[in-house]
Amino acid sequence: MNELRQEFHSDLDEVRNEVARLGASVVELIPRVTGILLQQDLEGAEYVLRGDDEIDARAIDIEERALRLLALQAPVAGDLRNLAAVLKLAPEIERSADLCCNICKAARRIYGHSLDPKLRGIIQRMSDQAQQEYKNVIEAYMANDAVAAAAIPDMDEYLDDLHRQLIQQIFESHAAGTIDLQVGVQMAMVARFYERLGDHAVNISQRVLYIKTGWMPEHDAAIRHKARVEAGTPAGAEGTD
Amino acid sequence: MTEEIEKRHHAMAPDVGHGSTDLQNNDVVFGVEDLAVYYGEFMAVQDVSLDIRENEITAFIGPSGCGKTTVLRCFNRMNDLIESARVTGSLRYHGVDLYDSKVDAVEVRRRIGMVFQKPNPFPKSIYDNIAYGPRLSGLAKKGSEMDDIVQHSLQKAAIWDEVKDRLKESALGMSGGQQQRLCIARAIATNPDVVLMDEPCSALDPIATTRIEELMQELKSDYTIVIVTHNMQQAARVSDRTAFFVTEVNPESDRRTGRLIEFNPTAKIFSNPDDERTEQYVTGRFG
Repeated sequence: MNELRQEFHSDLDEVRNEVARLGASVVELIPRVTGILLQQDLEGAEYVLRGDDEIDARAIDIEERALRLLALQAPVAGDLRNLAAVLKLAPEIERSADLCCNICKAARRIYGHSLDPKLRGIIQRMSDQAQQEYKNVIEAYMANDAVAAAAIPDMDEYLDDLHRQLIQQIFESHAAGTIDLQVGVQMAMVARFYERLGDHAVNISQRVLYIKTGWMPEHDAAIRHKARVEAGTPAGAEGTD
Repeated sequence: MTEEIEKRHHAMAPDVGHGSTDLQNNDVVFGVEDLAVYYGEFMAVQDVSLDIRENEITAFIGPSGCGKTTVLRCFNRMNDLIESARVTGSLRYHGVDLYDSKVDAVEVRRRIGMVFQKPNPFPKSIYDNIAYGPRLSGLAKKGSEMDDIVQHSLQKAAIWDEVKDRLKESALGMSGGQQQRLCIARAIATNPDVVLMDEPCSALDPIATTRIEELMQELKSDYTIVIVTHNMQQAARVSDRTAFFVTEVNPESDRRTGRLIEFNPTAKIFSNPDDERTEQYVTGRFG
């Protein structure tokens, strides 16, 4: 049978491509801002910060195009889930680019202070891991690959582990006198920024699964909550899981 | 592994989240089990198993020739009027085999009213259009009782205010949308249990269509409604459950046979259908 609604589906594909391009921008930004941080590249930092308006513009354009398709094309089923996901993904990626900007701002604040090799090593590994997660999840999104998407949360556990290592190293470096308190605070924030980049990749991976299956991890929470309400168990009585 | 993930997730989100509904399991009005309809040797539709539930709107959707109208016509034995038609499988109405030889087809059609694609009022007055059925079945003893039935039916069909001052005028002078609401009033005048609607809005403009759709929502508290529609958005807007049929072509004989593919709550059909063919159809990837 012939495909109907070709025009709409090509518009939908184009919106999806734009989401992937926006995600690819973050994949490129992550190593770039790490280089800026480690090499104290103030000019590069300015350049990235100025470029954030373009990312914002592209994100809002994606949202508006998705809204237009929702308003005019009455999408259903997989098309509807795809467009609903776009409305979640565009802000997710835009926020990730903001985190890259935050790393640039941290680079400006620690300008003139040196970082010891151990700190630099963990930062580089966090950056590599965050970039790999982001790259994999954007590829999974483009390929509608639920299996690849399902692997992202596992990858993110390693990033969380690196986060803990970096915080520990900040204490050690500060105790050894190789960094001062201000640099230590900035580094703790930087650690958090990379860790958050990984969290955004996990959120995106959940949306990829949602597009395929209509399921989100929050559904599990909803099932647990419903069971507790029906059992008359007060919220929080069992702790969180 | 992808399949496993999908299976797991479909199984995990049965009654919460996307595609969930708060549908109650109302009593079954029609229990359909492995129904097939033949015209002579030719099988028009097969594999139909579904439950039509009380005070719900059930929509049948699918491409042309998929058998949705054929199945609808089984529900009030309209297919009896076609000599070569025969039905296999089981179709129970409140537990009674509808095709049992002891069942009176005329009584079936009184209890199970029908509204057709094209408004088809009798060439009579508005009043007589409504009074015709009740008069035949002896529902009204006195003239005033008949007046009550006419007024009540027209009110239920949301057309009373438009016609109350011209009940003696010909129904053929009404607009298409008014005629269709008159036909709905006529269908409910005999106090049926079920109203079958075969593409009731396909000849109407959007405003008249919206009126009928609103009316269906009001009627479902008193009646069980089954609607065949070509308009998928209409099925999405009005129905509680949707049955999706496809047409299968036999490559040897080039004969087309309809088949029921998926029957689910409408919210599920249009947000996260179980069957890939439903997904392809509702998203317009084939038609």
